[in-house]
Amino acid sequence: MKESYDPITTEIIQSSLQAAADEMFAAMRRTAMSAIIYEVLDMGTAICTKDGELASSGAGIPAFVGMLDKAVKRINEKFDKPGDIKEGDIFTTNDPFNGGVTHLNDVIVLMPIFAEGEIVCWSANIAHWNDIGGMIPGSMSIDATEIFQEGLQLPGIKLFSRGEPIQSVFDILEANSRMPDFLKGDLWAGIASIRAGERRVLEIVNKYGKGAFLHALEEYMNYGERVTLSALKNLPHEKFTLSEEQDSGQVYTVTIEITETEFIVDLLDNPDQDKGPFNISRDSAVTSSQLILKSLTSTDTICNGGTFRPLTVKTREGSVFHPHRPAAMGIYYEVDVRLYDLIWRALAEKMPERLPAGGFASICGTLFGGIHPDTGRQYSIIEPELGGWGGSCRADGNPAIFSGFHGETYNCPAEINEARNGLLVDRMSLNEEEGGEGKYRGGKGVCIEYRIRSDNAWFTAAYTRSKFPPWPLKGGRHGSPNYVEILRTDGSRERHSVVNALTLNTDDVIRVMTGNGAGYGNPEERDIELIKDDLKNGYITEEQANKYYKLHKRVKVEH
Amino acid sequence: MSSSEVLRIATDVGGTFTDLVYLHISPKGEQQIGTAKSDTTPPDYEKGVMKVLGQADLDPSAVDFFAHGTTVIINALTERKGAKTALITTEGFRDILEIARGNRPDFFNLEYKKPKPFVPRYLRREIPGRMSYKGEELKPLDFSGLPAILDDFKADGVEAIALCFLNSYANSKHEEEAVQKVQELWPEVAVVASYQITREWREYERTNTAVLSAYVQPVARHYLDRLHRSLTEKGMKGSIYIMQSNCGVDTVKSAREIPITMIESGPASGVWGTAALGQIIGEENVIALDIGGTTAKCGLISDGHIKINTDYMVGRSQTSAGYPVMVPVVDLVEIGNGGGSIAWVDEFQKLHVGPQSAGALPGPVSYGKGGRDATTTDANLELGRINPNYFCGGTITADMDAVGKSLDTLAKKLGTSRKEAARGIVRIANNNMVNTLKLVSVNRGHDPRDFTMIAFGGGGGMHGCALAVELGIKKVVIPKQSAVFSAWGMLMSDLRRDYIQTRIIELDDPKASEHLNESFGALEKQALDEFTRESVDPSKVEFLRYGRFRYQNQAHSVEVALPDGTVEEALIQEIADNFHQVYEREYTYRLDAPVELVGFHVVASADVGKLTLEELPASGRKIKDTIKERRKVDYTDAGEQEAVIYDGSLLEPGMRFTGPAIVEDPGDTIVVMPGMQCHVDEYGNIHIQTQGGTR
Repeated sequence: MKESYDPITTEIIQSSLQAAADEMFAAMRRTAMSAIIYEVLDMGTAICTKDGELASSGAGIPAFVGMLDKAVKRINEKFDKPGDIKEGDIFTTNDPFNGGVTHLNDVIVLMPIFAEGEIVCWSANIAHWNDIGGMIPGSMSIDATEIFQEGLQLPGIKLFSRGEPIQSVFDILEANSRMPDFLKGDLWAGIASIRAGERRVLEIVNKYGKGAFLHALEEYMNYGERVTLSALKNLPHEKFTLSEEQDSGQVYTVTIEITETEFIVDLLDNPDQDKGPFNISRDSAVTSSQLILKSLTSTDTICNGGTFRPLTVKTREGSVFHPHRPAAMGIYYEVDVRLYDLIWRALAEKMPERLPAGGFASICGTLFGGIHPDTGRQYSIIEPELGGWGGSCRADGNPAIFSGFHGETYNCPAEINEARNGLLVDRMSLNEEEGGEGKYRGGKGVCIEYRIRSDNAWFTAAYTRSKFPPWPLKGGRHGSPNYVEILRTDGSRERHSVVNALTLNTDDVIRVMTGNGAGYGNPEERDIELIKDDLKNGYITEEQANKYYKLHKRVKVEH
Repeated sequence: MSSSEVLRIATDVGGTFTDLVYLHISPKGEQQIGTAKSDTTPPDYEKGVMKVLGQADLDPSAVDFFAHGTTVIINALTERKGAKTALITTEGFRDILEIARGNRPDFFNLEYKKPKPFVPRYLRREIPGRMSYKGEELKPLDFSGLPAILDDFKADGVEAIALCFLNSYANSKHEEEAVQKVQELWPEVAVVASYQITREWREYERTNTAVLSAYVQPVARHYLDRLHRSLTEKGMKGSIYIMQSNCGVDTVKSAREIPITMIESGPASGVWGTAALGQIIGEENVIALDIGGTTAKCGLISDGHIKINTDYMVGRSQTSAGYPVMVPVVDLVEIGNGGGSIAWVDEFQKLHVGPQSAGALPGPVSYGKGGRDATTTDANLELGRINPNYFCGGTITADMDAVGKSLDTLAKKLGTSRKEAARGIVRIANNNMVNTLKLVSVNRGHDPRDFTMIAFGGGGGMHGCALAVELGIKKVVIPKQSAVFSAWGMLMSDLRRDYIQTRIIELDDPKASEHLNESFGALEKQALDEFTRESVDPSKVEFLRYGRFRYQNQAHSVEVALPDGTVEEALIQEIADNFHQVYEREYTYRLDAPVELVGFHVVASADVGKLTLEELPASGRKIKDTIKERRKVDYTDAGEQEAVIYDGSLLEPGMRFTGPAIVEDPGDTIVVMPGMQCHVDEYGNIHIQTQGGTR
């Protein structure tokens, strides 16, 4: 006979699981040693069921929400004999072919949580490590052709056995990083974080009982599934296909089929895997699909394995979305954000009342460094950029905001950049180029000018949406592209989107230009008052007002 | 009246009520503390203040000290009822206000709306001129365009101007010059420069702070002037002080100039009251829990110290990035979960409580003013925790029929009984608050089991014990003036200002001690000058020094207390050792890396005659004579139990009793779980030992 459980207790267990993932997140942030973790929040935490379904997650980046369940599943597959996984074991993986999902820099640590001798769930954590070896400092090179060049691979291995650290594994890890102190600090922070999750889960289990706990988990998944199914019912039930040429010249294709109960993403018809690092693992293709499914069906923060039960993703082995070993994947994030944008676009064109027009949609990873002119020390900057989002059927797009892959993360203030890195920020403004005009216009991207103050600095970038700008909806105009201009002291200018280790000297200026989001609807239908307001605020020029919005004609007609 | 007679008053204007606490010392030296409560009266808040004064039957002309806290500033911001404001900033940076930090808390929402800047783009103007991060002038200010800018502002009906230049935290000279120039050209306009409020880095946060301060300045001046006039018209001659967000009070003159520092004045005085009461009862580690009608607020005091942050956000929520205000605000966390929070069932049959509140109108269903949605208060009535026959001190007859109906509606959706629905509401509300209490404790590295909870506000006594049990807190204290505790906290405040400045000094720099002396000296001199100008006796001014340190190139820093007096070279090593220790305690590891100082923090305070509590007399009354009745009370998890109901107004020092019990008093209900032991201390506060108790 099935026991019956009080629904309020079930609900309290569920919200306590969310609090546990948040607490794990706070613990990681408090104890991590690297700025990319505690400042950029390039990390995530989760509690998963014993079978590897996501129960709750803590994240600064939505793209990290659906990562950790995959690691649990791979560990379960690999350690599948009774007794393989014991109380006190801790596992680790960073291998995208083995549950690591992204690239080698993102290291996952995870542990089973045992109650009464049985696994009740898993506690897991992912964070970006500064350096995991490989061909260049920081491990991510746009010149890599094999994963071997991107650092040390941890293919789902034991780090602790029955509560005892396996020293030889720690020794290998330490020996393979250019920054072993940071590696150690970040690793122990990850361990502290999953242990905090274990403590909290055991408190819940002890208080309410294992039965009530497992029942609450199961119900939570069912709830997540009900939310998605209820939203799927109200979506158009058809097939959506789109092929889109990329900046690289490759063509990506997606077909999405929505039924009453299913959301199927078909990626079978796509190019062979890239010879460079522009590939994503199959697991990564799944997280991209999950992210768009979640946003389309419910913006509620509750997001678990049940949410994604109606999802099926089809990929072809050997393709850019499901490569064979030893494909390189260092720049996985630009491919991932492209796929996310592709699915979004395919759907938005058929349901423009539900999804906004295209935004700048790139991480715009910008990396540069050199010698601080005042302190003589090395500095290096790794930053994603802000850009403009597309207009929707209800409103103009947001200006200057991180891409859909990032979320609760923050840009670097000019004042901190100037002091810490010894450069000058000449400008940090909205992008005043045209693009994105519409009944509801796209939000503005940004224009940032970094003036270098010492010789022999280096600059690396990997931007997409540079050749093909953000896509409009319903007769709006396309947005403007993402690119970087280098303004040399001799007056020459160079334009780049993907570039490796360019040399810069004193007074050279890096001008980052991120795209204006695309427009929604015919600009000639834009409310006259909004156009006047845009003119008054300098979001558009007189010329653009007349050229795209036909302001002179419309005002004459109306008076 | 005798010269030895003293009358000190604190008034706190909240969302629903305006509270008053007074301390009267008779010519014979007898101390009396009294309280009063009246409705808040927007938009003319001073009327509510005058009304509550009248209600307490106090003679304004006899007042020596009058402290005041208000929500006027935060209301002007959240309701967008401030002045038309313009911004003048550094060339290349007028869009900083709109770019903000690019974050997106509601990250699954593809139609998230970024908060709209308080100054539209056409009123954001630039002038050339540049300081370096080291405070060196790279390019002088060029005022040639300023007259035309101001003409445009005039034509556009601008009422207030904010100024913020890049790197002004390192050198404020350009901002000082610009303020002067603007005042010369346009003497009538209100103008605020960022350096007058903060000397910390981060241009967006500093710019927004200057903008918000300019935005509320005309409103604040108007309000403070009216309040001052109303009080002086009634003959008040005593000093008037305004409660600040840093737990201190400040003069009206200073509050008029930089009103933005009043932004969290009410909640800050609650936390300060908690720290002060903790000191009186010998508790150094205390958690403050303030449950009002709409929200619950939590703060934490560790080793007797309150924590001051400068990263306050207006309107920040799960769905909005909010607006930063870089002023010293006591560390607290707030959630939309109070007595008036509405319970609701979503389309998937899940029960939620809050954040929507029934407010003052219509209020909970039981008020009988037309509310239809059950609230936490209604659930507490249904469970017998609140006495329906002594609702709001007997001033309102609780409409229990309506309460029953509203609970039945929820019960039907949940497929359960009326009683279970009521229990569910209380349990969910408690769980929401437990998670909030974890945010100020566990998530910041504190173990709540090491703390005592001081619970106050209308709902503090109702929920405090249950929450303490959940968190393993061993003792809960309900203050004597629990219902007006924030106002009580103001009577305990000093005149206090926090001076914070970003400046980077590497500790291995041979001149480090020299730089430290220079910066601390300058900040303390500035403080002393300001206090002296406001007629504060310089010998009464006390300083506390803190440094903000970090490992070289890190982003986050740790604040470490430093000794006063001249910093000798030998002290630098001691400071570094101290930092390593504090850092390791907070972050669990230490590094073998150079240490740098990134900010100075000086707290200047002067005692303006705060309250010294005297013990309450005891008449020798027996505890049994304070019992009103016995009735069935539902303790949710512990089930229904027969509880003893005590009359709170009859309790006296030294009395002891054990749960299950309820203490009723006109402004407050205290729910004591079965088995918990209580005693009344010499000041009338109730101490509850939670161990041995059940939920």
